[in-house]
Amino acid sequence: MAITEAHAGRRYPPCDPYQVAAAKITEFATALGDDNPRYRGDSPIAPPTFATVITAHAWDQLFGDPELELSLDRVVHADQRYTFLRSLRTGDEVIARLVIDKVRIRSGSELISASVDISGGDAEPICTAQATFLHARQVPA
Amino acid sequence: MKANVAEGLEVGTQLPSLAVRFTRERLIRYAGAATDFNPIHYSEHFARLAGLPGVIAHGMLTMGTALRVVTNWVGDPSRVTSYFVRFTRPVVVPDDANGVEVQFNATVAAIEGSLVTVSIEAICDGQKVLGAARAEVDLGMRVPHLDHES
Repeated sequence: MAITEAHAGRRYPPCDPYQVAAAKITEFATALGDDNPRYRGDSPIAPPTFATVITAHAWDQLFGDPELELSLDRVVHADQRYTFLRSLRTGDEVIARLVIDKVRIRSGSELISASVDISGGDAEPICTAQATFLHARQVPA
Repeated sequence: MKANVAEGLEVGTQLPSLAVRFTRERLIRYAGAATDFNPIHYSEHFARLAGLPGVIAHGMLTMGTALRVVTNWVGDPSRVTSYFVRFTRPVVVPDDANGVEVQFNATVAAIEGSLVTVSIEAICDGQKVLGAARAEVDLGMRVPHLDHES
């Protein structure tokens, strides 16, 4: 079977803990060409979209779920929303959890909305990343 | 240094623009930093196989770069409370020394107490590559001109 509207609400187990490191933050900021001093030094905070580094692990669960029959090479990232309660920062050990919010079936494709919650120690909520993916269904041969 | 970003701020105020050149080198750097190794972002072969006109930038690279307009202005990136973009058009990056330039513009779209909503535009080759892009920033203070209105 493939993905259906009934997969809305499907939750995945938490990803392995991710440790936010100063060098990784600076590497990411440099890749964005961003010289903001808050991303450098001994104890930088992360650029807001650094959350995608962590979110990507949770997306791997979605695209690797055999029941959904999704193929990464037919996926287009349609939109992305981040909501922040605070910045990710050096020393954070965070956990990402993914839930499928909504599946819309169209002719030839599916629109999949999924949220990833990123939380810190004592389940402190830090950030939510909501994405919509357009998945083109394979045309039957 | 950036303490007075709210001074004179009103709906329609334009933030300083930013022009950024995307080259293949930048795409590879971002792929490594973000650990996103989808080959459409570095291989002409796989990009064309996917039906694209050529190697394209990661949407998240465009999204992350666009937010620099806001964080450059506000100074403290931790003031960003939300950020949304729609990926409307791919940014094709040629394999040469110049790459392609993306122009980022931002305008204040709403002010509510200390919350400022900024609307962001990303233009490449005369076309908008992001849609409905908006960031919300909490300045943590009353925006002066609004206090007179109420």
